[in-house]
Amino acid sequence: MIEGFRLGVYSRGTTLWDGLDFAFGDAAAWFVTGPPSSGKTLLLSILRGERRPDAGDVLVSGESLYRGNAALARAWRASCGYIPEQTVADARLTVGDLFRRSALAGGGVRESERKERTDRLLGMVGLQGASAWRISELSISERLRACLAAELLRGPKVLFCDGLVAGAGVPSWEMLWGLFRALAREGNTVILAERRIPERWALASGDPCPVGPFRVYRLPGPAAEPKGEPG
Amino acid sequence: MSERPSLWWIDWRLSPGSLVRETIGRFLLFCLLGFGLLSLLLSGGVSRILADRYAITAVLRAEVPSGEGEGLARKAAALPPVRSATYRDPEAAWKEFLRAYPGLDPLRGTGENPLPGYIEIRIRPDRLTVEDVELVASALGAVSQVEQVLAGEDWLPRLLRAGRLASWACWGIFGAFLAGFFLVGRLQERARAVALAGDFAFLAERGISAGRLAFLRAAGAALAGFLLAAVGTAASGGVLFLSLRKFPFLERVVGSPADLLLPRTIASAVLFSIGVAMLCGAASLLGWSSARSGRK
Repeated sequence: MIEGFRLGVYSRGTTLWDGLDFAFGDAAAWFVTGPPSSGKTLLLSILRGERRPDAGDVLVSGESLYRGNAALARAWRASCGYIPEQTVADARLTVGDLFRRSALAGGGVRESERKERTDRLLGMVGLQGASAWRISELSISERLRACLAAELLRGPKVLFCDGLVAGAGVPSWEMLWGLFRALAREGNTVILAERRIPERWALASGDPCPVGPFRVYRLPGPAAEPKGEPG
Repeated sequence: MSERPSLWWIDWRLSPGSLVRETIGRFLLFCLLGFGLLSLLLSGGVSRILADRYAITAVLRAEVPSGEGEGLARKAAALPPVRSATYRDPEAAWKEFLRAYPGLDPLRGTGENPLPGYIEIRIRPDRLTVEDVELVASALGAVSQVEQVLAGEDWLPRLLRAGRLASWACWGIFGAFLAGFFLVGRLQERARAVALAGDFAFLAERGISAGRLAFLRAAGAALAGFLLAAVGTAASGGVLFLSLRKFPFLERVVGSPADLLLPRTIASAVLFSIGVAMLCGAASLLGWSSARSGRK
């Protein structure tokens, strides 16, 4: 369980938001929507333990991320995967490099296992044989899907995705829908931050929970799967 | 995912191409530095050249028989600073004289050899000091069979001072190369830290502390530096050994190839490798910190 209590952020000389409460249960996929410049990326940074909130605290399984042990916060970050909206710094790398780096962060991934899983994950996100491709030569959708696959290599317990659904594009929604539900079924937590949620996903998720400028949806589990294809 | 990530050789994993190039360059430099170090250690700077050209001459009295002169030479050779002591009887002295000054045969017109016998004493390169020369000269001067000791006391201190300065200059050049390596190494480390900043940020975002990264990078750089320096010095030692065997005249300047295997030479090479390892580690840490702070 990831909980945010009375979270507040002051930015650009003003209060961006204050007194927000969040609760993201385990083994579920969560969708946070908000308008541009509402602080979605900032919220993900705070939940990941990267950026201390100006007010409030984040608790993971009851332990404070910012007021507790620093080692705990590091362990939490190590168990998280993160797909940022922008990957400009990685332009010089190849897709294979992303996997190599991800394996390095995870540790304990053998070379042969890494290669085998890399091929499998790239195939899953529709990038078969892309290992040698340069990130700078990929489209935004391909970059995001490559980053997603590389993060999944480590098997993160919690996956934070910033603008992934919008960036990946409509043709990838079906794959993402299935992937997020599969991850949740295996006990992982997925938190997505987007400007808007695909219409059918919103319908399947039911009414969102309004939190400040955000709307929080819980994507349905396999039992609550709606009829027809999402997207 | 409970395992701690293994970040040893992290730069090798993230940027193998540039590191291979850097490593080749460093290896060649360490070969050069190792060659210089071993040459300096064996030669003692310019001590061996000076010791090769300097000799103390103990002129014996005319009536000293050859056997007694040889006995005296053996005793002189036993003195700690002495490398060799050779007795030359009057006849040998006369022949040497004629070789040096041809055409002076008439001086021996009456048939009697005007030159006495003498002992030529050479000092060990590492003991060529005013004190040791005085020790040998005073020991010989106290012997009744010795008429005169020619040790060049007037000019020897100046010569030794010049030799000392030349040796310091040689070591200074060696040190300047080491300092140059450190500066270039720091810039290389900084450039690599900048190039890999995205990867380090990625790892930091995933719970790996910057301090741990910096420490492991420095440790890896130090270990690689030690191995490269050790292998480079060993390789240059082999080249020096073969050079000395192939060109024996170099021994007069550098020294015997057997000296390469002396414990003190090996210990110096190990110390050099450890020093290089520390420089590599320090260059890595400084390069890392300057890359993070944006300094040059």
